Amino acid sequence: MSPQPSSHRPRRRRPAEAGSSNGAITTTSAAQHERPAFPLVAFFWPIKGANITQWVTLPCILMIAFLFRWCTALWPYSGYRKPPMHGDFEAQRHWMELTISLPVTHWYFHDLEWWGLDYPPLTAYHSWLLGQVGSFLNPSWFRLYLSRGLDDQGLKVFMRATVAASEYLVYVPAAVLCVRQLARQSNINIWEASIALTAILMQPATVLIDHGHFQYNTVMLGFMLTTIASMLAGRPLWSCVFFVGALGFKQMALFYAPAVAAYLAGICFFPKLDIPRFVGIAVITLASFAVLFLPLLLGTAYDTYRNAPLPADAVTPPLLSAIPFSLSEKVWYYPYIFQLTQAIHRIFPFARGLFEDKVANLWCAVHSSGIHKLHNYDSALLSRAALGLTLASILPPCALIFFKPRKELILYAFAATSWGFFLCSYQVHEKNVLLPLLPMTLLLATEGGMKPSTRAWVGFANILACWTLFPLLVKDELRIPYFVLTGLWAYLMGLPPVDISAYKLSRSEGGLHIISKVIHFGIYAVMVAWHVAEAALAPPENKPDLWVVANVCFGAAGFGICYFWCLWRLVEESGILYDMRLLKRKAQEGKKMQ
Amino acid sequence: MAEQYPTILQTAVLGTAFKVLLWPAYRSTDFEVHRNWLAITHSLPLKQWYFDKTSEWTLDYPPFFAYFELFLSQLARYVDPKMLQINNLGYDSWQTVHFQRATVIVTELVLVYALSLFVQSTPAGSRKQSHAAALSILLSPGLLIIDHVHFQYNGLLYGILLLSVVLARKPTGLLPSGLIFAALLCLKHIYLYLAPAYFVYLLRTYCLGPRSIFDVRFSNCIKLGVGIAVVALLAFGPFIYYGQIEQVMSRLFPFSRGLCHAYWAPNVWAMYSFTDRILIYAAPYLKLPVNLEAVNSVTRGLVGDTSFAVLPEVAPRVTFVLTLAAQLPALAKLFFRPTWDNFVAALALCGYASFLFGWHVHEKAILLVIIPFSLLALKDRRYLGAFRPLAVSGHVSLFPLLYTPMEFPIKMVYAVAWLVIFLMSFDRLAPASEKPRIFLLDRLSLLYIGVAVPLIAYCALAHELLFGERYEFLPLMFISSYSAVGVVGSWIGFLVVFLTT
Repeated sequence: MSPQPSSHRPRRRRPAEAGSSNGAITTTSAAQHERPAFPLVAFFWPIKGANITQWVTLPCILMIAFLFRWCTALWPYSGYRKPPMHGDFEAQRHWMELTISLPVTHWYFHDLEWWGLDYPPLTAYHSWLLGQVGSFLNPSWFRLYLSRGLDDQGLKVFMRATVAASEYLVYVPAAVLCVRQLARQSNINIWEASIALTAILMQPATVLIDHGHFQYNTVMLGFMLTTIASMLAGRPLWSCVFFVGALGFKQMALFYAPAVAAYLAGICFFPKLDIPRFVGIAVITLASFAVLFLPLLLGTAYDTYRNAPLPADAVTPPLLSAIPFSLSEKVWYYPYIFQLTQAIHRIFPFARGLFEDKVANLWCAVHSSGIHKLHNYDSALLSRAALGLTLASILPPCALIFFKPRKELILYAFAATSWGFFLCSYQVHEKNVLLPLLPMTLLLATEGGMKPSTRAWVGFANILACWTLFPLLVKDELRIPYFVLTGLWAYLMGLPPVDISAYKLSRSEGGLHIISKVIHFGIYAVMVAWHVAEAALAPPENKPDLWVVANVCFGAAGFGICYFWCLWRLVEESGILYDMRLLKRKAQEGKKMQ
Repeated sequence: MAEQYPTILQTAVLGTAFKVLLWPAYRSTDFEVHRNWLAITHSLPLKQWYFDKTSEWTLDYPPFFAYFELFLSQLARYVDPKMLQINNLGYDSWQTVHFQRATVIVTELVLVYALSLFVQSTPAGSRKQSHAAALSILLSPGLLIIDHVHFQYNGLLYGILLLSVVLARKPTGLLPSGLIFAALLCLKHIYLYLAPAYFVYLLRTYCLGPRSIFDVRFSNCIKLGVGIAVVALLAFGPFIYYGQIEQVMSRLFPFSRGLCHAYWAPNVWAMYSFTDRILIYAAPYLKLPVNLEAVNSVTRGLVGDTSFAVLPEVAPRVTFVLTLAAQLPALAKLFFRPTWDNFVAALALCGYASFLFGWHVHEKAILLVIIPFSLLALKDRRYLGAFRPLAVSGHVSLFPLLYTPMEFPIKMVYAVAWLVIFLMSFDRLAPASEKPRIFLLDRLSLLYIGVAVPLIAYCALAHELLFGERYEFLPLMFISSYSAVGVVGSWIGFLVVFLTT
């Protein structure tokens, strides 16, 4: 049987209260008796088919999602009472005091050693805003040099609240919009879309990193969600604006960039060339970048005008000295170039190593498993290898989305591209796994997304990702929230290690292929066994990192499988196989005719 | 009969996950109280339990609770033996916190079990309604705030109470129900307030014949009497043996405390005190004598007993007479029509009476009303009408228990989410009543619920912005007066519905 390309599938209009298209309901064959397919659906059962507006269900979902986030925030954060450097919490706090107490021209020059600002300007503006609010509440929280490593309880409440507020202003509305667009596109009723939204908001990895460990990833992810939502809504220009927002908040959004660019380029070339759209996209993107850097440049203009000196230890950014032509310090635009090159130098630290700490990607797995020690190689060679491999891994999904820029392929293309980046690229952190998880988890809101064939894979990627974050979370003393949130999510989604019902269905009933089942059970068994071993046994003396290394290796293997799954689904859904078969048949028929 | 979703078990899993996340949250001195009891029961011989004064938090629960702490301390030994040292006051290592918090969650399983029995024992026609009521109790913001943040074992205690109530639904369960209630009294004596309803119900259905009240069933009387005596002996026997019963009783019933608790529970006495406060300013015009000593001392601090400046003082005896008087109508009706529904209603009304008129009532005692009433709230729309203001005021009155900024969003968002979800689903599930309702009351209760929003906003934010540190008693006074109106209103509503049905 040839895989049916979705564009050829007949579409049926479904009224809002029509039956399940998404797999939230299972029917026992004996009595045609409907029941929830997994526990999360059970919690929505009382409102199934009921005439309740979104204005009631949505606030309830958001309140419950908030409660779990805020309770995670009760636990310690990264670097809590851990001198000398503390952690991400201190970094964010420091950026707030830095941006409010120094002139703009100093932001990207200030002391790199103590958590120097190395995020793009939108993060800096965000920090400035929060710093202003925070120092209005209590100035002692944000005194440059004096407030270092502060662990005041009031400060903790404020900082935790800023994460929650930023998330509820960006990520949450974006998720609501995006799920709505996805549901509209795949004809999913509101009830099932609400279930998918809850599952997406309760994603344990995102909650643990942002509200436990302490970061503002959800702002960047929220911009990404609006990017996807605008693409789905057929508004490519808005998607450019939002994507620049995502990039401007955290450079890690670059994981998505090739796929975003390929899709946006694709819609200009296929089905027919659309020059005005292409120009529009280019102009809007450039304009958004200009707006992004505008406050920085205006600040520079102001500081140049009042002759504010640069910090004494400011050196010429290497990027500026690398420019092939020499630039006079006298020209009027020299300070702006100086600032921009310094910002870019800070944001993209080319000089750092291939990977930091332990991260479940290809390089770290190869290196630390002892298959091949990579530190014998020249770093330039390694980075070239990383670049080559990354390009090889992202080329297929990007090419597909470029030649077939269809909305239902967006999620698969984004997921495959970011998995490729995560696995093969340079300077990856374990927390970056949130990026590929986002488009993959959104699959729950697509057609058949909650049938075991998709739900099990989404769950597998999420639970595996949490598991690879475990060593980091242990450092932050977040062991209990990890078990609670991951276990709860697995339970709600009806997935292992809590429930195996999703694996009981055969392929024809919307279940998984037998090979997938074997792979999943294998990795789940490894995760459970690993937790038992890690808790009960000390690693052997000559291999103190044994558990972490095992975690990295199995994590990388599992993520690699996720990459191939996304790629395979992309190929399958794009209908390219069907096209090829069609071509072949035509060729054969042509031969016969002759 | 199709199963109801979400099932009680599914809800319990979700609730438990949330409660575990609350472990590092604020905990009141009750946490230290219970840790101290672990230490007392573990390291001292039984003889000294009710005499020990090492900590200011002396043992003042009945003996079964002390035995319960003794049992927990056997497990605590393996977790962190330091928490069991009697002189280790205020010890709160993370092992201690996690252990004690975990015992609250595990013992709450009794409540889960009791609730599932309750749903099973309901006739199929109204099972949907009892299922919703059971979930509302399981996820109650009251239990969450008091047990899982503030720290107490109400989940266990109310679980036992509900177990006893549910058993009483079948004639064969009457004796075990009575005995379980007797045991509950030996765990925490606050349930004495509910004892009159038990007394009347068991007397009428178990000790007297169904046809005539003069048909005394002696064998049942003996069974019940002996059973209760055995339970009491098990609890108090050792202390009677040591001749300490007087000391135990003086610990259990400390009458030296004042009429109102430091923070006024929202009852009649809160309204009485509020009126007194107002009268201080009105007295010169009304030519009333003012007790100046009381003016300067009252409600200034968070700790201290209330005394009155204008209105007459209230003696403990008065409160008892009033409490009993308020219970009488419900008990009379129960006596003449001893059905299970009437029994539960009488329990709720006994709870109301003691909460509204009792001596030194804690705000936490509102659960004595909310939990029995929840079982009946879905009987028909008139009951629901009386339940709504109680659900709002009862939970709002618990908010001052948690005053730390980190816990503020938890109590607010949780209570609001609970109110929205359950009041809306109750609204859809409650059957129409046979008798017409008074619609004006519904409008009033809607207005009442609406007022909660600005009130809480004022108490949480506006007051501090307006007055800073000054008049810090005002928000508390507003909340307890506001809640008192709701509790009294729902009491009157419930009483009317009950007596006219």
